[in-house]
Amino acid sequence: MISLSASNSQNSIHAKHGLAVSVQNVGLTYTTSIDKRPTLKARLKSLGRGKKHTRVVRALNEVNLDVHYGTVLGVIGSNGAGKSSLMRVISGIVPPSQGRIEVHGSVSTLLALGVGFNPSMTGRANVYLGGLAAGMSRAEIDAQFDAIADFSELGDAIDAPMRTYSSGMYARLAFSVAATVQPDILIVDEALSTGDAHFKEKSLNRIKELRTADRALILVSHAMATIEDVCNEVAWLHKGKLMARGNPADVIKQYREFMQVGKSAAANEDV
Amino acid sequence: MSAPVSIYEPFRAGLPPLGSYLRSLWARRSFIAEFSRSELREQNYGSVFGQLWLVLNPLLLSGVYFLLIYIIGGHSDATRYGHLTANLFLFYLISNSLTGGVKSITAGQRLILNTAFPRVMLPISATVIALFKFAPTLLVFFVMRTVLGLHYSWQMFWAIPVILIALLMGLGMAILISCINVYFRDIASLLPYMTRSLLYLSPILYHASDVSEKIKTLEVVNPLFYLLDAWSQVMVYAKAPDLYSLAHAFIWALSIFLIGSYFFLSRERDFAVRL
Repeated sequence: MISLSASNSQNSIHAKHGLAVSVQNVGLTYTTSIDKRPTLKARLKSLGRGKKHTRVVRALNEVNLDVHYGTVLGVIGSNGAGKSSLMRVISGIVPPSQGRIEVHGSVSTLLALGVGFNPSMTGRANVYLGGLAAGMSRAEIDAQFDAIADFSELGDAIDAPMRTYSSGMYARLAFSVAATVQPDILIVDEALSTGDAHFKEKSLNRIKELRTADRALILVSHAMATIEDVCNEVAWLHKGKLMARGNPADVIKQYREFMQVGKSAAANEDV
Repeated sequence: MSAPVSIYEPFRAGLPPLGSYLRSLWARRSFIAEFSRSELREQNYGSVFGQLWLVLNPLLLSGVYFLLIYIIGGHSDATRYGHLTANLFLFYLISNSLTGGVKSITAGQRLILNTAFPRVMLPISATVIALFKFAPTLLVFFVMRTVLGLHYSWQMFWAIPVILIALLMGLGMAILISCINVYFRDIASLLPYMTRSLLYLSPILYHASDVSEKIKTLEVVNPLFYLLDAWSQVMVYAKAPDLYSLAHAFIWALSIFLIGSYFFLSRERDFAVRL
């Protein structure tokens, strides 16, 4: 018995070598309240009866997904497919309702730009604020500060309060801060489409630089060309289910065909 | 490869592993400091006096309350004014912690939905902000008490444990109320009345010794009553505080802190879904 269990654990270590994220049978349901008449009277009436106006939303449904180191996984799907929910579950922000997630390594998330930024503060102060929020240390930010400022192309504006920034400037600085974090696993949700064409290309190149054998990247995007260009694997989600996964060109082709077939296929989907 | 492994499973109310929780909280200490500082600066953003308001606020506040007790009491002496100011300032350390804490989770929605971090950081930074506001008032008070001619003594070092107890209490209250507010938003509207009641029920506009014995026994349920009495003994009369007062305050502070932290930590994984 003892030797058996020992060899088992040995095997599992070998089997998991290089595994970055393992999503096992994960389901996620949200309960949202539906108040047709959000008045005090309606609320008091329903109070005693234990009747709640809620609707259960299944954001994820038995999703299984393994991501290995060295992979750049693109996640695609229509609006409400559960892409962002999956990212939140993997990064530990939202606990799953069912299943289990194993994450081997440090995770950094870029789910929204400018998280932790304070618009009253200068761009400079926000580089520190955003960097610290993303889990960098002050010394790391000190060392990287010039690189961040250069990348953002803000020039003197870095010392102006961020509420004076245009939305493009804001997004540029936010991306520059986020792209300097060097985690084992980086999760990026729709953050590549910031700024003008010039900056978009620059940020895409930055993501490409981050592709190394000892890192796993997960990108969520609606930009199929980008996904095909950057990723070496694609997962397609639809209504909380994993529809396909594999070679980018194949999966994107399937996804495109599916979306064009339209409503009849989508209706079949609920089976 | 010995990468840290994190496991995420369905939410159950229960404490997270405390060791790793505290480690990741400690790793974020400079974020707490930076976050608090920027919030504080934002509050006075665009005003002419800017950060000077940190000193002006307490000065004006004590002026207004002095007017009140002068009109009601009809007399004023140095100790009475000293007592009012000292206790008002300490009271505001706790009440600022509460008012900052109540919405710390609900207002940190963007941060919570997009980054994984120990959520307790948000109410902690509410208390840090309250402490930043308290520090200049202490300075103002020492200038004031010198002008008033109150005497100094070594016993005044008792102020350190009293401040620590007050901080623990403020922190515990901030943690508790921020968590309550996630499930019961109405608490934010009730809070001003709660702090106002605490203000009048505590020995700030009057001395603890002015209160009848009967009421004094009832005040056992007021977490701030004996804390503020001890503070006044130390800061105004330069005497060692009554040990009973100190123990009463400490037991209250520790209980609130432990209950609040338990409540918060066992539920914080659920917050992202509730916002």
